[in-house]
Amino acid sequence: MGKITSNVKNEFKLKYLINYCLVLVLLLVGMVMMFTGGLKMSFARLLTQIGFSIILAVSLNLVVGFLGELSLGHAGFMCIGAYIGGFCANALSNYIGSKFLVLLITMIIGGVIASVFGFVIGLPSLRLKGDYLAIVTLAFGEIVRNIFKNQKAFGGAMGLSTGPIQYDTRNNMSLYIITFVIALIMLFVTQNLIRSKHGRAITAIRDNEIAAKAMGINVTFYKLLAFIVAAFFAGVAGVIYAHYTTPVSYTFFSYNYSIEILVMVVLGGMGNITGSIIAATLISCVNFFLQSRLSGDLAALRYLIYALVLIFIIIFGNAPALRPFKEKYGISALSEKIKKLFKKKKPFDPAAVKEDEGSWDRIPTKIDMDAILSTDINPEISGEQENADKKND
Amino acid sequence: MITLIDGLSLGSIYALIALGYTMVYGIAKMLNFAHGDIIMVGAYAIYVAMSFANPNPVIALISSIIVCTLLGVFVEKFAYKPLRGASPLAVLITAIGVSYFLQSVAQIVFGSQPKPVSGWKLPKIEFLNQFGITTGAVVTLIAGILIMVALTLFINITRTGSAMLAVSEDKGAAKLMGINVNKIITITFAIGSALASFASMFYLLQIPNAEPTLGAMPGIKAFTAAVIGGIGSIPGAMLGGMVLGVIEKICLSIEVISPYTTAIEFSLLILILLVKPTGFLGRTTKEKV
Amino acid sequence: MKKIFAVVLALAMVACCFASCGKEQGNSYTANNTEYFIGATGPLTGGASSYGISVQKGATLAIEEINAAGGLNGVNFKFDMKDDKAEPADAASGYDMLYEAGMQISLGSVTSGACASFAEKSKNDNVFFITPSASAANVIENANAFRVCFGDPDQGVLAAQEFVDKYENVGVIYDTSDPYSSGIFDAFKAEMDNLGASFKVQTFDAENKKDFSTQVEALKDCDVIFLPIYYTEAGLIAKAAVAKGSDALIFGCDGLDGVAGQIDDTVTNTIKYITPFDVNSDAAATASFVKAFKEKYGETPDQFAADGYDAVKVIFEAMKAAGVNDVKIDPSTLADKVIAAITSSSFKYNGATGEMTWDASGACTKVPQIVTIEK
Repeated sequence: MGKITSNVKNEFKLKYLINYCLVLVLLLVGMVMMFTGGLKMSFARLLTQIGFSIILAVSLNLVVGFLGELSLGHAGFMCIGAYIGGFCANALSNYIGSKFLVLLITMIIGGVIASVFGFVIGLPSLRLKGDYLAIVTLAFGEIVRNIFKNQKAFGGAMGLSTGPIQYDTRNNMSLYIITFVIALIMLFVTQNLIRSKHGRAITAIRDNEIAAKAMGINVTFYKLLAFIVAAFFAGVAGVIYAHYTTPVSYTFFSYNYSIEILVMVVLGGMGNITGSIIAATLISCVNFFLQSRLSGDLAALRYLIYALVLIFIIIFGNAPALRPFKEKYGISALSEKIKKLFKKKKPFDPAAVKEDEGSWDRIPTKIDMDAILSTDINPEISGEQENADKKND
Repeated sequence: MITLIDGLSLGSIYALIALGYTMVYGIAKMLNFAHGDIIMVGAYAIYVAMSFANPNPVIALISSIIVCTLLGVFVEKFAYKPLRGASPLAVLITAIGVSYFLQSVAQIVFGSQPKPVSGWKLPKIEFLNQFGITTGAVVTLIAGILIMVALTLFINITRTGSAMLAVSEDKGAAKLMGINVNKIITITFAIGSALASFASMFYLLQIPNAEPTLGAMPGIKAFTAAVIGGIGSIPGAMLGGMVLGVIEKICLSIEVISPYTTAIEFSLLILILLVKPTGFLGRTTKEKV
Repeated sequence: MKKIFAVVLALAMVACCFASCGKEQGNSYTANNTEYFIGATGPLTGGASSYGISVQKGATLAIEEINAAGGLNGVNFKFDMKDDKAEPADAASGYDMLYEAGMQISLGSVTSGACASFAEKSKNDNVFFITPSASAANVIENANAFRVCFGDPDQGVLAAQEFVDKYENVGVIYDTSDPYSSGIFDAFKAEMDNLGASFKVQTFDAENKKDFSTQVEALKDCDVIFLPIYYTEAGLIAKAAVAKGSDALIFGCDGLDGVAGQIDDTVTNTIKYITPFDVNSDAAATASFVKAFKEKYGETPDQFAADGYDAVKVIFEAMKAAGVNDVKIDPSTLADKVIAAITSSSFKYNGATGEMTWDASGACTKVPQIVTIEK
């Protein structure tokens, strides 16, 4: 049994390392291009957008994927961060010369204020379930932007002008570096939270709230914790947005944007951080390329193509009928083959590995172990378990 | 007083849309975010029918019902059916995809300029008009109640209706009892979409503009209304729609708070849900381990 | 298994990035231009898309006319509009895409919020832009920014002066979520207060802009309803006024242009609006534009189309006046030349929206007309 635990630990580590690596790769792409002089402004902006999309998607995943509560108001937290952060940065930039310092200070302010609201919005989640909570979060997002819209101090309908604190110029495009570093910090916090006992408590609440309560888990505390952490990082992403675009317009933070973040989470897989990172990157890139390629008369096709891509990916990724097909030709089958190639080369004792797989297979559990541990579970079995989960719902 | 009546007439539009939401949610257990856009398509169908020579409102309504129903069934078959048994969130995202899709198709076909739909004139009821009550509002209100009653009767009396109830209660058990679950869900979508075409007609009666984004905001408002009333409950949708419409109009009529209408509306929604976590008429389900 | 997929994907992406971005190096993006490149961003999808599409149509028509007449010293023009969904962030990204594709001169953005973002970006690169329709005051505060339409404050002041002696009961309905509308309203309110006149206010916003029964009901007794909003909502308000039995005069600003297409013969209220552009005008420039537009698109142009058309023509005339003859000219040099040309006292342009002159502030001086629609 000792071996199993160590193997699990390794799996954990590898799984988390991959996420750091992904973000680092993105960062490096930008850095290398910057030093070779090939980094264009539009691409630097895309990188920044990818960066804060990752922050948003992963933090939302904490609520939707790990805590299991549907939130449609993530853009609301971002809105708070963007307006408050932008406002403070405007004020601070008169006293502090360094833009970087201003950005850091306002990030903390924006994040903290957003997390206060995260606490407030976490409260109803103690009482409401499923779609009812979803509509409360949606309502929250709309309330926030409606209030900011009517404040003359925040620019009213025109939006908060953040011209003086815009970070990037054509000669200095470094906002994306800061964004990715923040993304790395966020990954560090989230992943350590998830793999700690607190994280296990959060997933336990997702899998069965009553059982978790019975086990002595403080449901109130952990639900609020997840909301607060998620809101904090959404607020930070908002502050980055304020340094990325002027004016900060309330129109950006509509429920449509909340849903776009949710799409990233669902596309990447609930409770799958790697998936969220990839999906955030993918969606930002798709949006970017559709905007740059489809201009003028063709622009009407932009959402048509986006919608078709979305529907296709979701159906391909989730349809039960396509499951056998996917097992043969899909990504997981492909990676399975690749993995086999790798395995042959590894000097591990094959008997030990098999033994591990066998014992994991036999653990009867409702939890989607595949997503949590990403050990080699027979896909058929995990599929059946998913179905069983649905029925129980 | 007049604000109240205006609120009721706006609320009856929300209620009609919410009926479609709640119906599909109650039986198929999915949030059909594309419902608002089916209304938009219905409105364009009416627009096209009314732009022919000799426009006839009845023909327009019938053609819109046909278009909406076919569209609803079509969308269900190609976008939602493959996902039966998949995570509800995946279906939600697909519905959003369908919504974007319909909006961009409408923009490509009809352009983004709003198309004013005219051609029908309701007779003015002088007696009511004195009080500032428009005929459209009265008709919408009556139609909303009629449709609600008809729907309740349909579900409680006919065999298909009881099959729907069974499916909503327990899909697995319904299947075992020999109910064709897929067929029932398709029928639900067909009815929900037909309701959408009624909604689009009454919408146009009061707000005579067809545009690609017509369905988006009323869709969200109606969804909110359905939740206030207790999603899945047919009288609840009606009630929720009315409450939302009245609140909206009252807020708008007070000058100081009118810019904050949306904020107040949604704050009230949150309060209502905190007091009654399943809306006014929603059922509370016991949770088991 | 997922990890390896992830790594493969990441590597693929890296490869893509290098492949797509490695090609063009150096900072002179206009080196490969064979035509003068006019860029713009505007809402081509979403709720505000009708404005962007109108500008796009007008501008395209102008480009075709210019090219058919031989361009500038034989060099043609091209026009490209990126979709910004009326969103500042998208406008900024769109600006970068255009700049890197070799944009030399620009129409800015169609809507005010997006154009403020565009202005901030273009300030750093010194790209000249003349926006057809972004009317907020701060859009043209930089030296490189000009516009074709009226500014919001001017219209509000004009309307207030128009009302003050003529009407007793003045009502206003404006859109709190729209910079254009609240911009005019703020100026209107200040001027009304200044003149010591009172008025009633009703509002709506993007979430409640379909049903106007309450607002019209509250203003039922007014002699005039001032609508500093766009024509779509104005059409709905006019219909609501009929339903409510109000016969107030409806008075609006240039956003109301196009309202004729939104109302039918049930509307009996007289509608008046301040506009530089009247579809039925006899002026030669306007009439020929309307005729050409109808021939090309089969529809009546609105003010956005006229502004887009004029903006492109103004750029052409200014470049001609500046004596530009290098197709690879970089945007900053071009901007300095064009600004000098357009602000010179001899520069005048007579277009579809009337005769215009510009000063260094970027604002356009032209004579407003009041168009009346009567039934």
